[in-house]
Amino acid sequence: VKRRTLLLSGLGVAGALIVGWGLMPPRSRLGDARTLPPGDGEVGLNGWIKIAADGSVLLAMNRSEMGQGVHTALAQLVAEELDVPLGTVRLTAAGHDAIYGNVAASMGNLPFGPRDHERRAFKLSAWVTAKLARELGLNLTGGSSTTADAWDALRLAAATARAQLLGAAGLKHKLPVAELTVKHGVIHHASGALSHYGDVAAQAALTPPGSVVLKPRSQWTQIGQPLPRIDLAAKVDGSARYGLDVREPGQVFAAIRHCPMLGGGLGPANVDAVRARPGALRVVALGPIAGSTAAYAVVARTTWHALEAAKVLDVAWQAPPGGRVESAAVLEALEAEARRAHAAGEGFAFLKQGDAKAALAGAATRLEAVYSAPYLAHATMEPMNCTAQVRDGHVTVWAPTQVPGFARDIAARVAGVAPEDVTVHVTYLGGGFGRRLDVDFIGQAVRVALEMGGLPVQLVWSREEDMTHDFYRPAEVAVLQAGLDAAGQPVALAITNAADSMLPRWAERVMPGLATALDVLNRNAFPDDRAAAALFMRGDAPDKTASEGLFDLAYAIPNARIAHQPTRSGVPVGMWRSVGHSHHAFFKEGFIDELAHAAKADPVAFRLALLEGLPRHQAVLQRAAEAAGWGQRPPAGVARGVALHESFGSIVAQVLEVVKDKGQPRVRRVVCVIDCGTVVNPAIVVRQMESGIVFGLTAALWGRIDIVGSEVQQKNFPGHPLLTLAQCPVIETHLMDSDGPATGVGEPATPPVAPALANAWFALTGERRRSLPLIG
Amino acid sequence: MDLKVNGQLMALPELASDAAMPLLWVLRDGLNLTGTKFGCGVAACGACTVHVDGQALRSCVTPLGAVAGKAVTTIEGLAAKDHPHALQLAWLAEQVPQCGYCQSGMLMAAAALLAKNRNPSDADIDAAMTNLCRCGTYPRVRAAIKQAAKGLKR
Repeated sequence: VKRRTLLLSGLGVAGALIVGWGLMPPRSRLGDARTLPPGDGEVGLNGWIKIAADGSVLLAMNRSEMGQGVHTALAQLVAEELDVPLGTVRLTAAGHDAIYGNVAASMGNLPFGPRDHERRAFKLSAWVTAKLARELGLNLTGGSSTTADAWDALRLAAATARAQLLGAAGLKHKLPVAELTVKHGVIHHASGALSHYGDVAAQAALTPPGSVVLKPRSQWTQIGQPLPRIDLAAKVDGSARYGLDVREPGQVFAAIRHCPMLGGGLGPANVDAVRARPGALRVVALGPIAGSTAAYAVVARTTWHALEAAKVLDVAWQAPPGGRVESAAVLEALEAEARRAHAAGEGFAFLKQGDAKAALAGAATRLEAVYSAPYLAHATMEPMNCTAQVRDGHVTVWAPTQVPGFARDIAARVAGVAPEDVTVHVTYLGGGFGRRLDVDFIGQAVRVALEMGGLPVQLVWSREEDMTHDFYRPAEVAVLQAGLDAAGQPVALAITNAADSMLPRWAERVMPGLATALDVLNRNAFPDDRAAAALFMRGDAPDKTASEGLFDLAYAIPNARIAHQPTRSGVPVGMWRSVGHSHHAFFKEGFIDELAHAAKADPVAFRLALLEGLPRHQAVLQRAAEAAGWGQRPPAGVARGVALHESFGSIVAQVLEVVKDKGQPRVRRVVCVIDCGTVVNPAIVVRQMESGIVFGLTAALWGRIDIVGSEVQQKNFPGHPLLTLAQCPVIETHLMDSDGPATGVGEPATPPVAPALANAWFALTGERRRSLPLIG
Repeated sequence: MDLKVNGQLMALPELASDAAMPLLWVLRDGLNLTGTKFGCGVAACGACTVHVDGQALRSCVTPLGAVAGKAVTTIEGLAAKDHPHALQLAWLAEQVPQCGYCQSGMLMAAAALLAKNRNPSDADIDAAMTNLCRCGTYPRVRAAIKQAAKGLKR
């Protein structure tokens, strides 16, 4: 049966084509000087590296800096291979060539668990996916994939450039290349300093690199060092330019008022009265664009005049055609659907091993629990915004975006021009967290700019518009069932979660032309006995993000069925820092803690036993337990909780110390351990752990979006609290030594926070919390 | 109308001279001083914090009319380019910013605190630093303020 389903998968809709094309050699990501056109005095050596006349290095930057430190980490990879100080690497915008696409993000979306990686069928599936992702070249900063994606491509580009530069220097000085070394960007020979890179760059462009060897780990002087970030000088003196800081000659400003009901429509409005307001120039009606709700934009001479004029707008808004949505009712419906699908054995089984039903029936102890999580907003500190100009058939966009290629596409679609007639300037992002994987605000800005006779227009969302018109982390309910044998060992686990799929909804918004192709790919991603079910699943293809963190189970439980039941709630949903892991870690690690309690076992020891065969996971958990003093009695009134979760290739364990403060949980200390493979910059990794933990604490304690009559109730920070400095616990981070591949750091610290907190609260009070947020 | 910003008397353009216009937008859209940020518009997040006569104020709810004749300092004027403020140096030493969007306001709030209290306790820092940061730079902000305070004592 297995072989037949495998064959079926291989010859699926896209399968035959994929197999044939898959036999061709993979295309290089090196590019050439045409991929990255040189400016005055610059020499291009490949698609990533240019050398300036003064010998400094220009790096094509294809990823967005939204706080996670990638501009520094990527420059560090290049500085290492080129033997130049980090400070002499300058960034230049990468274009839209497919070499700048993100292969690692696609790899991260494969439906594999930690025990699958060495299986042959999975390796084949990964190989095909990597090749396909290389062809598609979709450029996105997300999925904690930046370092993993750049690891080979950038080091190879820099090492190739170095080989060409050395070859040219050898020719120039008539010396064997083997006798040349590089120090701080200057080529040396035993006889002394010869040339800097700028002196030999023109010749280097004509010199073949010969055999290119990457620096061995033992010779690294920059990778692994806590070098200062290259973007911070500008971030402490106010000069860093975010989307809202774009100022172009003649620029005007636009505020927006969406229909308050998500998915609702426009009606007649007092447009003349609005236009008569001081400074107001124009009112533009905006239909739905890339998933947005319909809106009016008010253009004025300053942001304030636009915001003030927009307040006067009086519109007979239209209710959404599908009827109004209530989040409370959605959560009830999700629970009913999860229970029904669980009982009926429905949903797409991302993990199926042994016979969970029979093992449950025969178990000595059975546990069942229902966990839930609310909608969540991204609430980036910089509200959504975009500046656009349409002049002489050309569109220029300045945008804080995670997806420059999709930004170009939506601008072209809205303006009715070819993608080649769009220029996208990516600014710094005042936070992203997945919100800026969407392009609604970019399409809106271009639509408004079309009305402005060639003037650049900056579209600014108020905080209220930002919070009430997000693409929310989906609400979700899961039924979890487990069976223990007489010795307290888990013998069965069955989980069914009911939730909206994220990936297909996002794909429809940002890449409508490719959404079907993505659906076909996702159906073909299963190299085993899940293949037929995936191929013939009705509705959306299986969405890995809707089950990640549940099905990719590290714990060895012989009989398991972990399934996702897709729903359509009518609420716009999107990717939120750590995506499916954000709530699934809470479900899984909370329930595992319940099993440990039922087995009368220590939560750390219980997990360690189930992690047999996964030494990295065990080591991370043990290190966290040791660092936190697990096993030693905490001070009176303090309790500890633990959680372990793998996401984006990295394994994180956290121990939280919690106290009861006015009846509510307060976290006083967090110990965090991560194994993210090879660490490029430990200072950045430590800060990303702190970042993910604070983000996770806000969500665990207060994070919720309530929708009444299709209107989001939380409108600004007073009603949507964020953790403050005074509430921030002490955070201690430990990095595991590893020479494994570099994996994610931007997101993996977020998932374990909520379950570790809830588990600590249980240890403190005996009260098991199965829904978020814990307060309010 | 003139406004004293960062030690200089600046002529306000006509479009940014309405007494009701919040100082934030006068700075950003009238004077192109974009280091001061818009975060919430309701004085909840502190991204727009500036000094008015040395006091930390949230400029998004401070009308231009309320600062007439007063001295406004923004992040651009916190220190001379070649003589960074002790806090800016500490911020770099601690590698505080992530996305960086809230950091102008954080620095201005911290500078107002240190101007009044050269040796702030944890409780003083808690009380003064109510700015919101979505990236979670709080542990580093606290450490940097302490480091800068230590430098001032010497």
